[in-house]
Amino acid sequence: MIRRLYWIYGLLVLAGTSFAQYSGWSLDKTTALKNIPKSVRDNPGSYRSIYQSYHHYTGGK
Amino acid sequence: MSAAPPPPPQPPTKPQVKAINCPKCGAAIELRSFGKAETVVCGSCHSILDATDPNLKILQTFEIKMREAGPRIPLGKRGKLRGVDYEVIGFQRRSTLVDGTRYSWHEYVLFNPYKGFRYLTEYDGHWNDVGPCKMLPTIVPSNPPKATYLGETYKHFQTCTAETSYVLGEFPWQVRVGEEAEVTDLISPPRVLSSEKSGDEITWSLGEYMYGRDVWAAFQMPGNPPPAVGVFENQPAPVNESVKGVWSAFALHSVLLLALLIVFSVFILRDRQVFSASYSLDAGPQKGEGSFVTDEFELGGRTSNVEVTTHADVDNNWIYLNYALINQGTGQAWDFGREVSYYHGHDSDGNWSEGSRSDSVIVPSVPPGTYYLRIEPEFAANHPRINYAVQVKRDVPVLGFFGLGFLALLVPAIAVTWRRFNFERLRWAESDHPLVTTSSSSSEDD
Amino acid sequence: MTQPVANCPNCGAKIVFQWSSSVQTVCTYCKSILVRTDVDLKRVGQVADLPPDSSPIQLNTEGIYANKAFRAIGRILYEYEQGGWNEWHILMNDGTSAWLSDAQDEYAVSFPARIQNLPPADGIQVGQQFTWNKQPYTVSVITQANYRGVEGELPFEFWDKTVVTFADLRTPSRKFATLDYSDDEPALYLGEFVEFEDLHLKNLRTFEGW
Repeated sequence: MIRRLYWIYGLLVLAGTSFAQYSGWSLDKTTALKNIPKSVRDNPGSYRSIYQSYHHYTGGK
Repeated sequence: MSAAPPPPPQPPTKPQVKAINCPKCGAAIELRSFGKAETVVCGSCHSILDATDPNLKILQTFEIKMREAGPRIPLGKRGKLRGVDYEVIGFQRRSTLVDGTRYSWHEYVLFNPYKGFRYLTEYDGHWNDVGPCKMLPTIVPSNPPKATYLGETYKHFQTCTAETSYVLGEFPWQVRVGEEAEVTDLISPPRVLSSEKSGDEITWSLGEYMYGRDVWAAFQMPGNPPPAVGVFENQPAPVNESVKGVWSAFALHSVLLLALLIVFSVFILRDRQVFSASYSLDAGPQKGEGSFVTDEFELGGRTSNVEVTTHADVDNNWIYLNYALINQGTGQAWDFGREVSYYHGHDSDGNWSEGSRSDSVIVPSVPPGTYYLRIEPEFAANHPRINYAVQVKRDVPVLGFFGLGFLALLVPAIAVTWRRFNFERLRWAESDHPLVTTSSSSSEDD
Repeated sequence: MTQPVANCPNCGAKIVFQWSSSVQTVCTYCKSILVRTDVDLKRVGQVADLPPDSSPIQLNTEGIYANKAFRAIGRILYEYEQGGWNEWHILMNDGTSAWLSDAQDEYAVSFPARIQNLPPADGIQVGQQFTWNKQPYTVSVITQANYRGVEGELPFEFWDKTVVTFADLRTPSRKFATLDYSDDEPALYLGEFVEFEDLHLKNLRTFEGW
């Protein structure tokens, strides 16, 4: 009984190790950040047309 | 020749249960073993009578202590053992003195007119189904002694002096309260070989362990059997646990794990260097931001890991690099800082060193794409010129996982072995040869 | 198998011999001991009631030994220091006769052996070794037994003995031998111990309550 349980457990361990290796996991600590702005222009308000191209003077005198 | 027809032949005599009266107190006694008993005990006045004597000579009378309990399985009860019906016809309590403590156990005399006598022994809730040995066991001279019987080897467990303290019912031998015999038990779980030496005579018996619940079922006893305490000499180890089986499964799985590592390393993982560059930091205090980006490199294949290795020629110094691995297309970034430090010197114990000139880190689950590193070095205030190199490898084996896997396989095997060891330690704790001796362990009994 | 029929010279009851070579039998009606002569049956004595004994085997109990069926047709009851035992005269279905001994729940089957130069009663002692049929036998115990009674058919005359001497010989296996000094000439029986279960006995005695 114990032997059979161990067999199943062992296969799970092998499967887990394979999955970890194949998925490219790691034991080291790194911080994954999404969307570091490449430039100042890449910001949440950049959809405004004013930022899409060269900024012409729009102000007054 | 007589003229009258001859009388019909007498049918063969059918042995009867014999009803007698105790010569001491007159109480009614039944002899249920059809002439095979040698002694019978009067249940009322506790006189031991000679069952072979038509006058029932009184051989001994004994007193019972106030709260001496009688047999749990009453005399006259019948039960089926291995398909054969047996009747309880006798009972005795015996005890032995070990280190000043008296340990007692019970023996039931069972009878079947076709099969003869058998015995059921009980100690602390552990039962044994015992019968006489047909052949003589062979003693193997060794220390501690062993014996072989019917192809099995038995190890010496205990030798002690057993004293009879209470008797009831019929016995196929001469019992006396107070009689002593030297009893030796040799075990081969679930069996036990027991020799009993009384005067010049040695008799050998073979017993097989029985669980209380099976005895209760065999004799259809109500309620629960006495609970089993501790581990008994020939109690079998839990049946569904095979320590050897677990270790052989461990060996097999370890080999499979190793094979998995090899298969990954050789066939599946790319393990390819995708970037390598060298940089240097000029000596003296540094001005400015100091952070810079590297050239781009391709990370191909499926989402997998990235290994970034730093080599620096620090000498009794350190350098700290803030890394960011940035995906050119999506802007996704992985941030990590690595220190490379190396110190060495010489003291009274000899040369010493601390740290290393290189460092490696593995970044997990990086999708394929074009990437570059942004590096920002940090350093001690005044430092000499430091040259350092950065290498990036894609899809490398993480030995740590395989190490963890190996440990994961090892832990249950150790746990099962520990459990079995503990069981055996408990088994031998009561013997003449305990596995683990403490200062309070018992010495050999004489 | 011929079954000679005769009449008891004492009471006239019908006597049937199950075995053609039986020499002696006991009339079940009047308990006379009858010996076969060439001509007829001769009454030589009377057997007293057998003492109560608890052997599970009785006359006409059937069983199997060495793949041959047998039936108990006679017995001799002995008594010695430590109790008693029965020697049952069994008839195998191939016409041969043998002995089934029943002592303290130990059973053994033995056959008469035709071996010459057997040691005399005063020339035997415990520990002595003999080799018969290439098998070594060691004398284990010498017993003086009292004859207590007979029943049924026997292959020889046996009724007026009082004390008889037996020597038991054992081997490391189940084989054993017995030297029987009841007569002037020693008789040797070679046999083996058997388990009660392996005899597949039928028509056993019934005990009250069993």
